[in-house]
Amino acid sequence: MSILFDNIRLYTAGAFFPGQKVLVEKGKIAAVGSKVLKTVDVTIDGKGKYLMPALIDAHTHLGLFERGTLTPGSDMAEVFQPITPHLRPLDGIKMRDQALDDARRAGVAVCMVCPGPTNPIAGQCSILKTNGNSADVGLIVEQAGIKVCFGEEPKNTYHKQKKAPSTRMGIAALIRDTLMRAQDYAEQKASKKGIRDRSIQFEALLPMLEGRVPMRANAHRVEDIMTAIRIAEEFKLKLIIEHGTEAHLLAPMLAEKKIPVVLGPALVPHLRFELREKTFESAVLLMNAGVDVALTCDFPGLPIEALRIVAAMAVQFGLDEKRAITAITENPARILGIHARCGQIKKGYDADLALFSGHPLDIRSKLELIVVDGELFQF
Amino acid sequence: MKVIITKGMVFYQGKFQQLGRMVMDKGKILEVTLASAKVKKAKSDPKDKSEANAQVIDADGKYVLPGMIDAHTHLGLEEEGVGWIDADLNESFGLATPHVRAFDAVKMRDRAFKDALAGGITTCMVTPGSANPIGGQTCILKMAGNVVDEAVVKESSGMKFAFGENPKRVYGEQKQFPCTRMGTAAVIRDWLMKAQDYSKKKKSKDFKEREIKLEALLPLLEGKIQARAHAHLADDIITAYRIAQEFNLDLVIDHCTEGHLIAKELGRWKARAVVGPTLSSRCKPELKHKTFDTVRALLDEGCLVAITTDHPVIPIEGLSLCAALCVRNGLDEERAIKTVTEYPAAILGLDKRLGKLEVGYDADVVVWNGHPLDVRSTVDVALIDGKKVL
Repeated sequence: MSILFDNIRLYTAGAFFPGQKVLVEKGKIAAVGSKVLKTVDVTIDGKGKYLMPALIDAHTHLGLFERGTLTPGSDMAEVFQPITPHLRPLDGIKMRDQALDDARRAGVAVCMVCPGPTNPIAGQCSILKTNGNSADVGLIVEQAGIKVCFGEEPKNTYHKQKKAPSTRMGIAALIRDTLMRAQDYAEQKASKKGIRDRSIQFEALLPMLEGRVPMRANAHRVEDIMTAIRIAEEFKLKLIIEHGTEAHLLAPMLAEKKIPVVLGPALVPHLRFELREKTFESAVLLMNAGVDVALTCDFPGLPIEALRIVAAMAVQFGLDEKRAITAITENPARILGIHARCGQIKKGYDADLALFSGHPLDIRSKLELIVVDGELFQF
Repeated sequence: MKVIITKGMVFYQGKFQQLGRMVMDKGKILEVTLASAKVKKAKSDPKDKSEANAQVIDADGKYVLPGMIDAHTHLGLEEEGVGWIDADLNESFGLATPHVRAFDAVKMRDRAFKDALAGGITTCMVTPGSANPIGGQTCILKMAGNVVDEAVVKESSGMKFAFGENPKRVYGEQKQFPCTRMGTAAVIRDWLMKAQDYSKKKKSKDFKEREIKLEALLPLLEGKIQARAHAHLADDIITAYRIAQEFNLDLVIDHCTEGHLIAKELGRWKARAVVGPTLSSRCKPELKHKTFDTVRALLDEGCLVAITTDHPVIPIEGLSLCAALCVRNGLDEERAIKTVTEYPAAILGLDKRLGKLEVGYDADVVVWNGHPLDVRSTVDVALIDGKKVL
């Protein structure tokens, strides 16, 4: 299906320009400009409304936690075994969960989905589009990183069960233990003799050890962020900090080491001890220091509809609008490694577009429609 | 920038003497000149303006000491005033956990770090707790830094072992092995034996799979890190020595509560002991013979002894108080001060760098407004690596 957006205010390079057109063909953006002429299946008269790249949330549990079903519908985390790198979100996502529809209604076209934060090594991270009838259809990158968790969540989970790890020392030791054994496994696999008995856990860790995908480290506190950095350096892993509640306290170092932060969810109370330094100023402090930042709702930490709101809140606390928008479009695309196809409105990019009645960071603006991979959803 | 301290009483070469001036630069002590020294007037170099811009601290009427050192604490592992969610002291469901490292769990914003500075302490050893027969790796930190990586002196300095009542109680309550002293010693020997064999196997061609717990024990067997044995009873201390001799370990006794009962033996072995926390109650049977006389008794027999608060058992700022209580019980003042400066530095293997105010040593210096063993005195200035941190 081809779609022509006519007479829109188009978001490019940090500002909205009126009188623009965007042509969508075969799921891709085919042309952008003021003089696009083409016979199409559907023409949408934008009436001067705001068209921007559809939003991206680089850290969610979308579809793993089913709405209104606290335990039976939750496939968030395997809480009785601390090392589970072989878990794949694809096997737990319920595409007909209301949250997928909510995501589209919030203007979100792309989500990273990962298992919950209870395990020191929690599992695989996958990237999904929010259209599609099954997770396989929506899937764009299955192996986008391994989620590794530090701090209170794993400590809490296993301390209650009277099992290790019950301290930060134990968490770090268990992660190192697993990575060391996986390294040796990789070496044996590469040797002439090869390996006869495969281990599904170590197999799952190989892409990360080879540097093809990053370690996505859940870490709130300074101490936990530092431990993640130490481990990443020891094992030569690419590192992304998830949540990063205290990351602003380490901003210059994170910038120097080029470690991105998927920041949030900020719109929650300071519920746990490790959240006590949480502030909406984090985004501007980190970005001013030169850190690559994406904002997240951590659904179901916050409802997915809140993604625009957390960006607007960051503006309220000092971030400029342009960078607030990149923090929910271009930056998460780059942090997820899909910036060559998502996050901007450019010729050849995926047709992921959101049309708002007003400025998207004015929370009174309504989402009129979303296009995901060229598929049109009107509201 | 250079820092110069002038006048005051300096603890130098084992006693208090009148200070002329002490110059520090680039984190180290450059010069110590006593007031009694006859100084030839050096021709001043007109190009050298570094002293003109120096920060000068007038210590007239005050006391200048090396920053104190506590060679056995849990600083930052169990953040004060927070509760169990922040307790990272004991990985107590693991029995033998040589691979856990205190370094990965120290919270630098624990207020205990500020309390330490206010108490004149600039360096601490931080160790995992005593729940496990093999508890994990200790680290050595200075009391300033945004993150541990900035405060580090040694990331892994020793391996913690625990004898006596604590492991017995922790695993007995879980209805698990070990619930006796025999069991505890057996667990420790078992792992050390495995590590010895592992070390041999590692040299063979067929070796392929590393094991992190045994890897962690290798530096210990190679003498690169110390064996730190938590032991109160005389019998537990002797068991630790027996094991250390069997496996040729570099042993330091922690707590050493009944050390005075076997002082002659310990003296013969040139034992190193970190004694304390003596200002706590005799809350368990193995503390029955606790006394402030242990430090003197061991020093008299030629042991190397440091005093510890075992923070948070005694709050860290109580270190000088513990030293003063030893003086009240018969220890001379000079040695009391050495047990919180020079001796802990030597026990930690840092005697070339910390614990004394001598040229070339780290500029960790504390200016007290009165005698440091008078509990009414307070710390006016604390420097770490030549930088003012209090």
